[in-house]
Amino acid sequence: MHGRNLIAAGALLLAAGASSAQPPPQPGFRLTDVTQAAGIAFRHNSGAYGKKYLPETLGPGAAFLDYDGDGWQDILLVNSMDWAGHKRRRSTPKLYRNRQDGTFEDVTRAAGLDVEMYGLGVAAGDFNNDGRPDLFLSCLGQSHLFQNTGKGGFTDVTAKSRLAGHEGFSTSAMWLDYDRDGRLDLFVTNYVRWTRAGDIFCSFDGKVKAYCTPEAYRGATCWLFRNRGDGAFEDVTAKAGILDTTCKSLGVAMVDFDNDGWPDIFVANDTQPNKLYRNQRGASFAEVAVKSGLAFSEDGRARAGMGVDVADLDGSGLPTIIVTNFDNEMMGLYRGSKGGVFLDRAPQSGIGQATRRSLGFGCFFFAPDLDGRLDLLIVNGHIDDSISRARPDVTYAQPPHLFMNTGGRFLDATAALGASFAAPKVARGAAYGDIDNDGDLDVLVTTNNGPAYLYRNDLAAPHRSLRLKLTGAKSNRDAIGAVVKYEAGGAHGARTVRSGSSFLSQSELPVTLGLGTAAAADRVVVAWPSGYTAAYQPLKAGTSYEIVEGRGIVSAVPYRPAH
Amino acid sequence: MAPRTPTLIQLLGLVVTLGAVGVFSLFTLDRLAGLRRLGSDIVDRNRRDSLQLIRIQDDVAQLGLALRDMAEGTEPYPLPAYRPQFARLKGDLENALEIEAKLMPAARTAPQQKLLEGAFGRFWDQMDKLWALAGEGRENDARALIRTRIEAERATMATVISRLLVQNNEAEAAAVEQIQAIHRKVELNLYALLAAVLAAILLTGSLVIWHDRRMFAQVALLSEQRKELAGEVIRVQEDLFRTLARELHDEFGQVLTAVGLMLQRVEKRLPEGSGERVELHEVREIANQTLERVRGMSQMLHPPVLDDYGLEKSVEWYLRQFEKQTGLAVHYEKIGVAPWIGDSVAIHVYRILQESLNNVARHAGVQEAWVRVSYSPEQMEMNVEDRGVGLPESPREKGLGMIGMRERAELLGGRIAFEKLAAGGTRVRLAVPLSYKGGKG
Repeated sequence: MHGRNLIAAGALLLAAGASSAQPPPQPGFRLTDVTQAAGIAFRHNSGAYGKKYLPETLGPGAAFLDYDGDGWQDILLVNSMDWAGHKRRRSTPKLYRNRQDGTFEDVTRAAGLDVEMYGLGVAAGDFNNDGRPDLFLSCLGQSHLFQNTGKGGFTDVTAKSRLAGHEGFSTSAMWLDYDRDGRLDLFVTNYVRWTRAGDIFCSFDGKVKAYCTPEAYRGATCWLFRNRGDGAFEDVTAKAGILDTTCKSLGVAMVDFDNDGWPDIFVANDTQPNKLYRNQRGASFAEVAVKSGLAFSEDGRARAGMGVDVADLDGSGLPTIIVTNFDNEMMGLYRGSKGGVFLDRAPQSGIGQATRRSLGFGCFFFAPDLDGRLDLLIVNGHIDDSISRARPDVTYAQPPHLFMNTGGRFLDATAALGASFAAPKVARGAAYGDIDNDGDLDVLVTTNNGPAYLYRNDLAAPHRSLRLKLTGAKSNRDAIGAVVKYEAGGAHGARTVRSGSSFLSQSELPVTLGLGTAAAADRVVVAWPSGYTAAYQPLKAGTSYEIVEGRGIVSAVPYRPAH
Repeated sequence: MAPRTPTLIQLLGLVVTLGAVGVFSLFTLDRLAGLRRLGSDIVDRNRRDSLQLIRIQDDVAQLGLALRDMAEGTEPYPLPAYRPQFARLKGDLENALEIEAKLMPAARTAPQQKLLEGAFGRFWDQMDKLWALAGEGRENDARALIRTRIEAERATMATVISRLLVQNNEAEAAAVEQIQAIHRKVELNLYALLAAVLAAILLTGSLVIWHDRRMFAQVALLSEQRKELAGEVIRVQEDLFRTLARELHDEFGQVLTAVGLMLQRVEKRLPEGSGERVELHEVREIANQTLERVRGMSQMLHPPVLDDYGLEKSVEWYLRQFEKQTGLAVHYEKIGVAPWIGDSVAIHVYRILQESLNNVARHAGVQEAWVRVSYSPEQMEMNVEDRGVGLPESPREKGLGMIGMRERAELLGGRIAFEKLAAGGTRVRLAVPLSYKGGKG
């Protein structure tokens, strides 16, 4: 996270395209701040009391999930807590139930999540295939697995699931079915080996303590837990070849970069080389980041990887990976090739120049304007509130970037999306979901030691969409790993159902297909993780479909009228 | 002796300059090639080699971290779980060592290379023993091996790599010093070339200037001599004309007058209407005509009016003669009071007037001419103007007459200009200082 690769950033700056010279694009939508109106009254508590402990800088994450199965996306906001001996207030994660009228209800206590923990990230997935999303909350110390009871609540099954005893500085987490046995496995990233007792004094001026860089601490391995199918997980970190104690990991994403149907794993590391674990048919993983060009920046330096997301931007089947980095490093936009080698296209794409002063965290590809092309959201914020004293050109709170995909180049349209959205923040987590079932994607942003923001997408462009909720049968029930390819009005695209991605956060699992002005998708093909592939045609715009693996479309519900 | 042209000197200067530039260019190219060799053979190669050594150093450091974790046993994983991490690092190390071996600087000695390879060989041998012990479940023995042997071997690798990096840095520093020395030498040579080129330019330029000055002096002398000669020719010519005129007037004139009178007396003695008287009368007429022609020729050669009445009257007299002879109308205008202008000046002004009007009569193709003479105490000016066809464009066509007029004007210290009028026609403008004493005419 604390990359100081100024030379690298400078070199990239020279090559960066001057996107700022172009007029801001008309995005065709606005992101309206509905946080208060929706009843989201969350404030992250990092526990900071002046000691500047490293974990205080990271949280929190957030997730969209339909925990009660009513077809409406609910919100989970992770929280940290006060340090022992410095208790000021009680702070817990918050679960907000979607009331289906634009407002949310705090159901934390009723859901059994009123538990204090030094939480950082979240991954929502139906690990027991009961049709209800469960929650993994990554924490400093012991992380927690909450099993959805199906009765509006959760039960902490950390011990029962044999995840207890794995204590670390856990950050992002991801559900995936790496061995394709139909059960979701769990990948957890860990940052560094940090304890309060072992905290190191770091300072800009030798007097006042500042937050340390990760170089000050030893790395920690990521964990891979295989779902045994009996409610318990097996730590296969070593067996699967994931063990690497030099990692300082913050972000994780699933990417089938070699298109062999077996999900591979990309891990964003802070000041250490990124990792790409190539899935060897479910048996183990081979680390191939250096060979694939993802480990380092183009000038061979390990950057400060934070958030990450993966998408097939042009329907070619070749993935593009976004990695958010420290300021002066630029974001990495790695475009894959058929040979499995990635090239950082950030400078050429317009993203490099635009992000050179940003310290990015949460990020994801999505299509908020429903034009069929995937745009990119990056939320930013520095880690040290005193940074402006040491570096006057860098601010603690930083505005986000919403890059509109113009077909190869990305143009920052943030300023046109609304004052609240464009305002500088100390942002960390970010996720998208359709909170009002109107077919466009709304945005959730968390801030460090601050509030969470909910932005409703008010679409003005005459674009339409359709939504797919995939339910696996032989595959994992959440269909995580399923690839949806579609054609509409001559355009085509691909989306993957995914957990993980972004930073400490998870977006909704249903897939939204932007159709532009087309009235229907001419053809939709779903490649399920089990290997089963089925085509559906045509699918009408303005409709939410539920597709069950092997059974086809089981329901089609028209959207609610727009606001 | 004919003067030498400057071409040879200039060519010599050019050859010297180009030679100096050529020699320096060859020298500079040679130095630059040397710099390139130093750059690619030592500096670039060293840097690329150092990058690989840093990569190896980083891998060795990562091995150290992993070994520490293994030795401490703080992770809940058995020692064989670390094998993939070590396999990846080994793969990267082997790749880096292979590239490094190709880039190895020339300064690397065989014992150093052997030391490097030996250190890595011993390390991986010990690691194999570790995996074997771990595989047998003897984790404590394996951890002891890390502490007693493997970490020491790893430290040796790190030391060897550090030494090689230092060696590369030193070699690079030496190469940089060499490069700087070459830069300094090239710089000095550049200054020398600059001085040589400047000296060559200075020498050549001085020679050319000196030569030009000499040429100009010779031209000026020749011009002066030519002027003197021309003046002398004109003076001799005028003396001859004056003598001839006088001879014609005085000698032939007197003789013919006497012949005429004698014939008249004889004629009167002959009877009227006699054939002899008629013939004698014819002879007397011939004698009279000859006398007139001799007088005319005498006046043309040197009008006596010039000597007797000066320029002003001579002009007036000549204009009347001219009108009579050619039938052209000459509009004469006199401005100012004419001082006495003696024959030495007047004869040249008169000749210029004569030549100018003759040109009008011969070439202008008009029946009118304008003559204006203005006098002031300092100078006199004379304009002869016509509205005819104008001056010919080519200097060659302008003829000797104009050259003669110019020479006469110069003899008087005056200026003459031949102007082509915009409305058509020619104007001859003569200005003569009346105080000029240089004239030799």
